[in-house]
Amino acid sequence: MKALKPGLTRAVLGAAIGAGVGVGSLALASTAGLLIEDGQILGLGYLLALIGFLFGLGAFRFWLTWAAGREINVAEEHAAHGTSGDWRRYIRFTTDHKVIGVQYLVSAFLLFLTAGTFAMLMRVELAQPGLLLGKEAYNQIMSTHGAMMITVALISIIGGLGNFLVPIMIGARDMAFPKTNALSYWLLPLPILLVAVNPLLGGFDSGWTAYPPLSQQANLGQQAYLMAFVTVGISSILSAINFLVTVFRMRAPGMSLMRMPIFVWALTVTATLMLVATSVVAGAFTMLLFDRVLGTSFFRASRGGDVILFQHLFWFYSHPAVYIMGLPGLGAILEVVPVFARKPLFAYPLAVLSFITIGVLSFMVWAHHMFVSGMAEFFHIPIMLTTELISVPTGIVFLAALGTIWMGKLHFKTPMLWVFGFIWAFLIGGITGVYLADVPTDIALSDTYFVVAHFHYTIVGGTIFGLFAGTYYWFPKITGRMYNERLGQLHFWWFTLAFNATFLPMFWLGIEDMRRRVADYPAALGGVNLFVSIAAFNIFLSVAVFVFNMVWSWRRGPKAAANPWRAHTLEWQVASPPPIQNFDEIPTVSAGPYEYGGPVGAPAEGRATP
Amino acid sequence: MTAHAGRADRHEHLDHMGFGEQDPHEARSNMLLGVRLGILSEVMLFGALFAAYFVIRSESGGWPPEGHERPELLLPGLNTLLLLSSSVTMQWAVRAIGRGEVAAMRRALRVTLLLGSIFIVVQGYEFATNGFGLDAGVFGSTFYTLTGFHGAHVLAGLGFMAIVATRARRGLISAEHHTAVEAASYYWHFVDAVWVVLFSTLYVL
Amino acid sequence: MISSRRHAWIAAAAWTVLSILGIVLVAGIQVLPVIASREAEIENSAFVLLTVLSVPVLMFVVVGLAYSALRFRANGDLEDGPPIHGSRGFQAVWLSVSFVLVIGLFGYGAIGLIDIRGAQVSDFEVQVRAEQWAWHFEYPSAGVKSKELHIPVGERVHLVINSDDVIHSFWVPAFGIKQDAVPGHPTQIYVTATVAGTYPGLCAELCGFGHTDMHLTVVVSDRSALEDWLNHPPPPDDSQPPPDGSEPPR
Repeated sequence: MKALKPGLTRAVLGAAIGAGVGVGSLALASTAGLLIEDGQILGLGYLLALIGFLFGLGAFRFWLTWAAGREINVAEEHAAHGTSGDWRRYIRFTTDHKVIGVQYLVSAFLLFLTAGTFAMLMRVELAQPGLLLGKEAYNQIMSTHGAMMITVALISIIGGLGNFLVPIMIGARDMAFPKTNALSYWLLPLPILLVAVNPLLGGFDSGWTAYPPLSQQANLGQQAYLMAFVTVGISSILSAINFLVTVFRMRAPGMSLMRMPIFVWALTVTATLMLVATSVVAGAFTMLLFDRVLGTSFFRASRGGDVILFQHLFWFYSHPAVYIMGLPGLGAILEVVPVFARKPLFAYPLAVLSFITIGVLSFMVWAHHMFVSGMAEFFHIPIMLTTELISVPTGIVFLAALGTIWMGKLHFKTPMLWVFGFIWAFLIGGITGVYLADVPTDIALSDTYFVVAHFHYTIVGGTIFGLFAGTYYWFPKITGRMYNERLGQLHFWWFTLAFNATFLPMFWLGIEDMRRRVADYPAALGGVNLFVSIAAFNIFLSVAVFVFNMVWSWRRGPKAAANPWRAHTLEWQVASPPPIQNFDEIPTVSAGPYEYGGPVGAPAEGRATP
Repeated sequence: MTAHAGRADRHEHLDHMGFGEQDPHEARSNMLLGVRLGILSEVMLFGALFAAYFVIRSESGGWPPEGHERPELLLPGLNTLLLLSSSVTMQWAVRAIGRGEVAAMRRALRVTLLLGSIFIVVQGYEFATNGFGLDAGVFGSTFYTLTGFHGAHVLAGLGFMAIVATRARRGLISAEHHTAVEAASYYWHFVDAVWVVLFSTLYVL
Repeated sequence: MISSRRHAWIAAAAWTVLSILGIVLVAGIQVLPVIASREAEIENSAFVLLTVLSVPVLMFVVVGLAYSALRFRANGDLEDGPPIHGSRGFQAVWLSVSFVLVIGLFGYGAIGLIDIRGAQVSDFEVQVRAEQWAWHFEYPSAGVKSKELHIPVGERVHLVINSDDVIHSFWVPAFGIKQDAVPGHPTQIYVTATVAGTYPGLCAELCGFGHTDMHLTVVVSDRSALEDWLNHPPPPDDSQPPPDGSEPPR
């Protein structure tokens, strides 16, 4: 029977059973007289559902067999890698990093569309003064939009493109821990589902930042979000371990660290941040959950707790988190630039150093999110210093990109268009960041639409533009077919113009005192808000073009050659799509990844010497 | 035994992907590096919990707050001795298997398991008799959250050791194949180190 | 085929012209819509400085991009570009300039912040209390409570801010002051209003669905008018905001 074999059907069954046991046992205990709270029922139900889901999927079977000291079915383990051409491997616990990469990418884009729909609802409310959906609904929609988009930004590039490409780019056959890799992915559907259905549990209105005491106020939807976030965090940490061991221990002969593609470097620093920072927010959210569900008082002032403590712990992760979101995008952009400028990446060693410096400094700036929080006064000045300083290594990204572009032979294919769009958008994001780093100006701007504009310019400009650049660039490699170039250009121009039209006016709105996270605003700002809403709808429409292009081209696009971009990195020296084992023989590397500058007609063989 | 070792041979090496490209030595190093990185992440988790404790404690009027008393040192002191000894025995196990002495490793592992289990029992008794709960303001919150997370890690460590002991009983562990024993030892020493910090800050200071 | 030097000079010239134009445009602007306090004045100066400095940075990148897009197109040429891996000199200049800029900005910001905070002395104190979703003000010197904030012009005012429930944030844009109201943790603002008048205030931290409508009014007047108002306090405040967060009837 299909339901008895490890797979999605059995997984859903397992989740249902787990949820049933969790909810049922506590409901029973409640009728038996024990004092059980709704939150505890939700908590246990979710936990057992997650375990049941993974168990039903077969995620644990190899580990359980190993633990019991029994013989592992080697054939089954091989089969878990999936067979080429079998579409069902994408909905199973498959250990092939290429499958997992596609799973992440598709899931991330689906989540992106969902979160984008929520954004459209927000812009419907904000299109005119007055209330339409209502304040309560708006806060919930806004919070869910934020939670989903943050998740997309965190997983799309490193989980999607990173998983697919990094092993191939460094000359390995897979990640260091393929089963753990699959587990990382399959930890995600349940929490994402939980966030998507949290309105049914009452929604959560605290924003993704979930500050107590607001987030301690009863509302199951809030708890659903907290639990989902911790789950995604665990997935993150497992991914990070996988990445770091893979990059540090599985590179092909000849690939020294300074011959790694810049994309791999960016993801390495990202993984380090993920590894070190995530547990801190997991701790903070756990303390918050305990406050809600187990009666602790970490953030209850009346019982000795400290409300601002939450913010410190939260932002200690969440500032590095914005680099976890941004660095992969920066890496993708810098990976694309040399190929389409036909020039080596300018200042590659300095770019690597700057990524590392950004990573280190990112742990020292968190309190710039708290300048008006009432935190200790002495902290403002050192944090202002470190925050200003982090713009120096970040600026190196521009040096590398512009230096590569200058005097290059520029081919404006879709990936390169996204590079140019990124440079503009990330620049605006960076410059406006200085206004927020400077405490005097931050006092006026904190919690206004200026901040909203700033982080959309940096995250969309950095992560999403990087995601689009990378997706178009590597589309032929992943799917074996070429995307439609005209639709790509249409998507780019439409998106970029709509994006700028949406978020540039928000800087002005912030200076004109429009606060964030409000469902209504003074009538005088109505005209600009209407313009912004119309522009935002255009973003959504342009993404529809992208989705159509991707789906259509994957099914019907012209077959792609192994190396349509004449690039030098290792992934382009194998077929499109790559064979299951990536390489017939592991190559030996004899040069750097961007040695452009030879005469035309020279074979773009990279440096792989079989 | 040789036939068993042959099976262990294939499984340990293919346990991650099955293309056979990676040699067993590499696979072992990868696993241990992975374990160390995982421990680093756990250190940060405890870091957050300890940070919360220090902040809350420094902002309270006095510690312990009104209505609470300093916990007794006898039982947690005993627990400290238990855990420290268990780290020693755990290290004996690692050394023994490095020399190929499976029986000696199994003995040392059993003693470690015993010491760890007694720790749990003693701590359970301490919790039942110390007169305050998780919801006793910030004192209870910090105390139980820190010791609770630590205890959960102890339990996980004991569970992992039990699994290693099972595999040892089935002859799957040898001088060439004992990554799991080393991994367990890294984890156990980490758990022990966290306890030392916990004991010093929650009980003594 | 013009040389790399030539390209650089042309771009540099474009950059210089555009930067000068931009700086001239923004140098005299007032960024903050209303400036009615000493603190807001300091903040506005910071805004102007940052905007002026942003212009050459922005123009550098924009000119670089535009010039490249116009002059370095491949147009069917399949040859690679020159194998330039970097330029020690250029990198060093870039790093130095950005570092100096950043340190300079930090210094200016630190001085500005210290100036804004000023001395911890005041001529007039008000206790501010936030709750979901209204502001309450208590004037300890006169034993008066009100839902409006009345302060003297030209004098240093000390606001002590508290919250009854969740985190709120006390913000008066015209004064350039903002500080969270944190339960269990009183916070402070010192402000010197410089222009008499009536100004709106807002809650600036998400505090539930009533956050959208959580406003306040600030009245700045000279001392004697303020004393008059304090001696004839407004009617007692016993209306609670209705649960749907809308403004209670006045």
